[in-house]
Amino acid sequence: MVLWNLQRLLNGMRRSLAAPSRNPRAAVVIGRLLGAAFILCFATGIYSHFIQDPLPWMHFPTRPIWIYQVSQGIHITAGIACFPLLLAKLYAVFPELFQTPVVRSVPHILERASIALFVASSIVQIVIGLINTYQWYQLFPFPFRQTHYALSFVVVGSLAIHIAIKLPVIAQYWSKRSAFEADGVTLAERPAEPVGAPLVPAPPHDEVPIGGVTGKVIAWIDSTPKPRPDEVRTSRRGFFAIAGVAVAAVVGLTAGQSFRLLDGVNLFAPRKQGVGPSGLPINRTAAAAKVLESARDADWVLTVVNGETSTTFTRAQLLALPQYDVDLPIACVEGWSQMASWRGPRLRDLADAVGARDGVAIRAVSLEKDSSYARTTVGPEWVRDELTLVALELNGDVLDIDHGYPARLIAPARPGVLQTKWLSSLEVIA
Amino acid sequence: MTRAQRRWRVALIVVGVGLLLLGGIVLFNDVAPKRYIGILAWLAGAIIIHDGIIAPAVFGVSLAMRRAGRRIPLPVILIVQGAIVVGAIMALLVFPEIAKQAIGSANPSILPLDYAGNLIGFYIALAVVTAVAIGLYLVVTRRQNARPSTSQD
Repeated sequence: MVLWNLQRLLNGMRRSLAAPSRNPRAAVVIGRLLGAAFILCFATGIYSHFIQDPLPWMHFPTRPIWIYQVSQGIHITAGIACFPLLLAKLYAVFPELFQTPVVRSVPHILERASIALFVASSIVQIVIGLINTYQWYQLFPFPFRQTHYALSFVVVGSLAIHIAIKLPVIAQYWSKRSAFEADGVTLAERPAEPVGAPLVPAPPHDEVPIGGVTGKVIAWIDSTPKPRPDEVRTSRRGFFAIAGVAVAAVVGLTAGQSFRLLDGVNLFAPRKQGVGPSGLPINRTAAAAKVLESARDADWVLTVVNGETSTTFTRAQLLALPQYDVDLPIACVEGWSQMASWRGPRLRDLADAVGARDGVAIRAVSLEKDSSYARTTVGPEWVRDELTLVALELNGDVLDIDHGYPARLIAPARPGVLQTKWLSSLEVIA
Repeated sequence: MTRAQRRWRVALIVVGVGLLLLGGIVLFNDVAPKRYIGILAWLAGAIIIHDGIIAPAVFGVSLAMRRAGRRIPLPVILIVQGAIVVGAIMALLVFPEIAKQAIGSANPSILPLDYAGNLIGFYIALAVVTAVAIGLYLVVTRRQNARPSTSQD
């Protein structure tokens, strides 16, 4: 009896949620966009992961110089677009939450479990990604980068399983035309129906009514007149229009942190172009890196080592080398980026000073303390690149201490976290 | 289901399960087991917030909209609905940002904007756009309704 009432209640809830915009076609249309956004985030995330932790055989493109910057701008922007898209997708399939019976069979349990995992991991993934750009690390009882990386496989794996399960529905409703043919009626004529037919047919109105408040609410729902075909069409278009406006709003008002074109309408991004020392944002300050003293030490030298050969450069000696001007972006793994003008000697000239062979990598060591990025490796694709500098000046100013004074690395198409600041030594890796 | 679909289904499930395993391996290798509780708490929290808070809230709004649907023209409802949805999503993104800004950032180039002020400005603009859209709709439909009668003159 309790079960029967629960079933009727769930059925009533499903019926009350029936809306023209909640249909398989809407789920497929929004699902395609959301799936594409997930794949974009996954691909750009994997790129950024391996550029930081390359496998031995990996080589990365150094041109165009904006490839890393744009990839991470896309990562963060597509991630932000996922908020309205995911909500729209969940809205379109909302009545599925009140399926009756709650579970039917072992495959059905697995299907519902896989969807629960998919929904939960997707929500967590985009929320921790966003909060990470606000640098609110205290909210994470786990290491962000590793967790975000592990979850990315869970999200994309669940996506593949979800597509597999829904394949017939997706195929049927992929194009507008096949969606028409699937039902043999025009979209506008199709009655509002939740995704998937209810297993237990909705009880006819003259059946014994359910008592109490629930019964009254359901009776009231059932007395709502069915929408006219033109209203069905309007509702559907309205749904897509709302989703479109929401995506445009969240993307348009934040993407300026990564794409200069939208800087003028950057109202809500955690970073703003032009804000920071020498007009460039920073992540780690000299104080946080505990280099305030060592970086200002009058005895500072840059040591360049190649096996037994070793030589040192004071800042004045670095300035006496041929100086080059390059325009390269600082592109953060958090998605923001900005173009800047750098000046200093080429890394390859320093490598030549210690007789480094072609094709070697260089380990850049920073003065900074307590950081996993205090020692980074500059791959051979960058060591000989004419755009890779040991920068001494930024945007016409002496390099600010928060930007890595006395000297820092800058190379094309690399994440900012690898553009080592407060250089202490450069070691050729044989 | 066609044979091709069945093949795709098997292939996708194999790929999907493989990626899930890979995710598990990465988790096992890169994250200390004592942190798993935290990750599970977040995953469970996502389900609870979605199924327990957002879903019932949307359910309630859906019911309320049915009531309004009996009296107000559908496009007007949709415009208002759209404004509420856009405003709510923006709040979802910006409220945590305002909260973190109040706590403080590691340096002044992080969270440098007046997010609370910008959000208020955004809501004012949203309200104005919504009102104008409703006004335009009402004017246009009134004209359309008026046209047949003028042509009969």
